[in-house]
Amino acid sequence: MKLFTAFKLACYGLWSNRFRVLSAMMGVVIGMFAVIVLTAIAIGVKDTLMKQMGSLGAEQILVLPGRVLDTANGQKDLLSGLTNVPSTLTYEDAKAIQDVPNVKSVTPQLETITIAQYDERNVQSVLVGTSDQYSRIQHADLSEGRFFTKEEQEEEARVIVLGNNIHEALLGKQEVPVEDEGSSDDAQQTKPIWKKVLDKLLGESASAEETSLVGKQVTINEETYEVIGVLAPNATLGSSTDNNIMLPIETALATTDMKNLTKMIVESASIQAVDEVDGAVFNAIKAQHSEIDFSVVKQDQMLGALGKVTSILQMMLFGITVTALLISGTGIMNVMVMSVRERTREIGIRKALGATTSEIMGQFFFETLLLCCIGGAVGIGLGYAFIEVWNNNIEIFALVLPMWAVKLALYTTFGIGSLFGIYPALKAARMKPSNALRFE
Amino acid sequence: MIELRDVRKFYRSGSGKAEILRGVNLRVEPGEYVAIMGKSGSGKSTMLNLLGTLDLLDSGTYELAGKSVHKMSRGRRARLRNEEVGFVFQHFQLIPNLSVYQNVLLPLTYGRKRLRRKKSRVLALLDEMGISNKKNQKPDRLSGGEKQRVAIARALVNEPRLILADEPTGSLDEETTESILKLFDRVHKNGATIIVITHDIEVAERAERILYLQNGVLV
Repeated sequence: MKLFTAFKLACYGLWSNRFRVLSAMMGVVIGMFAVIVLTAIAIGVKDTLMKQMGSLGAEQILVLPGRVLDTANGQKDLLSGLTNVPSTLTYEDAKAIQDVPNVKSVTPQLETITIAQYDERNVQSVLVGTSDQYSRIQHADLSEGRFFTKEEQEEEARVIVLGNNIHEALLGKQEVPVEDEGSSDDAQQTKPIWKKVLDKLLGESASAEETSLVGKQVTINEETYEVIGVLAPNATLGSSTDNNIMLPIETALATTDMKNLTKMIVESASIQAVDEVDGAVFNAIKAQHSEIDFSVVKQDQMLGALGKVTSILQMMLFGITVTALLISGTGIMNVMVMSVRERTREIGIRKALGATTSEIMGQFFFETLLLCCIGGAVGIGLGYAFIEVWNNNIEIFALVLPMWAVKLALYTTFGIGSLFGIYPALKAARMKPSNALRFE
Repeated sequence: MIELRDVRKFYRSGSGKAEILRGVNLRVEPGEYVAIMGKSGSGKSTMLNLLGTLDLLDSGTYELAGKSVHKMSRGRRARLRNEEVGFVFQHFQLIPNLSVYQNVLLPLTYGRKRLRRKKSRVLALLDEMGISNKKNQKPDRLSGGEKQRVAIARALVNEPRLILADEPTGSLDEETTESILKLFDRVHKNGATIIVITHDIEVAERAERILYLQNGVLV
């Protein structure tokens, strides 16, 4: 069989039925677009979470409220064990850990939702009482000012460090959740949408004159605090500091009703000492508690649990992808079978003019294959464009498109085209020319 | 050119079989112009399908251009059809999505003949048929006469030795019929063997020999 002839005829065939072909191709385009985008989301989420967990450092140990169950092989089952229990961890536990040999630092965290007020602007935020080590442990860089010192922590100084979103919102530069009750920010609330958009486009704001709150006083729960620093933006999944307000833990304990820690990050003096510190930390807290209502988790255990979560996510995406491809493949096959039926007389004419069974089969096979490959390429291109647009405009996490996913998508379109092209091609090729010519 | 011996053809009809051709014998010499007439349902179209190798006979023998068609594989029959037979149908049977030029080119696409100048061959034929100005148009923009001229050009493009025409003027008015029949005369003069299946006596009278198909037998 002349492959080139069959290919050429398939091109003609597609071109002469281009409007029908376009609608058929949409199935593959959407299928491939879904494959590319879903893969990029899965890998992007996995990479981001792994990076965040990994950034804790191998020498770091997390102490969480609640009991983490052990699996059959003795590993901590973080997926089933982290229950929503009230925290019983206290600052005294943190102090006890500080005395454990080979512990370099302990970073306790008290967290609550609160309203911060500045210049009659109310902004909802997460108030985090912590130690002077927080910015180092969280890899949170400062865009302005400084973080509080150990001395300020011990002196219960009324100082705070603002997350980037909170700083912007208190300056009136950014829309954030605002408490309505007691709010006198009427001008901001009643401003029409078109004005807000215009302001955003022009980079103008009601409080555009003020560019920094460092050195200013912010009110939280009727207590006044001095802003000493602002964190640089770090929009990430889960543990962003953008919506936080950090203050020394001693100050938080003295000025708020927060008592129980949300978590503690314990830093071992060396990686070699992690296992020893892990056990010692557990024993130190156990000695302070009547029951084991806390968990001590190492970085590798967290990464393992995270790996399990992302594997489940990937399996789910794989299922969705296969379903999408099967649906688009079946759609293509149905369109091609309909096309064979519609073009029965044409097949009869071609056979009468001397086309062999293999030439007819080749033409219809290549038509399906081309349809899938062009649709696949368009879908991959659109997916790639979507990822580019996402990565250039959305900061929460980056979509990652590995080369293997593109190759897989291309091979899959080729596979779908081959698999679903066979039946319509056989159907067309087996027609008796005399019957096909009579077809109405 | 053609030799049919005791050819029989059956079609399934409900639970039984209907015998359409009941022992047909026919010999056509190269360059002959033959008309086959018969009433509707007499088996004319079945006869054309067998002669054009579009269908298989159930018994008997068929030789075309010295080759035993009844013994051939499907692929070899397709090749023989491409090289030796040109069809002209009553309803033209042009592919609607292809242009006039592409329709005429089609037999050359499937052919093994290595014609050096396929394009010039097609254009010359379109010129000969008087439709060269329509070469880029789709068939639905043509009149009946123009469509049949395209079909004739397509039948001749591969230089076949046998032209099979099934009611070639059945869809045409008197004036167009005459011009198409003149074309057939010209093709015949150039040496092609022509078999016309028709129920129109005026069309049949242009042939050198008229045969009648009655009850599945040629008389």
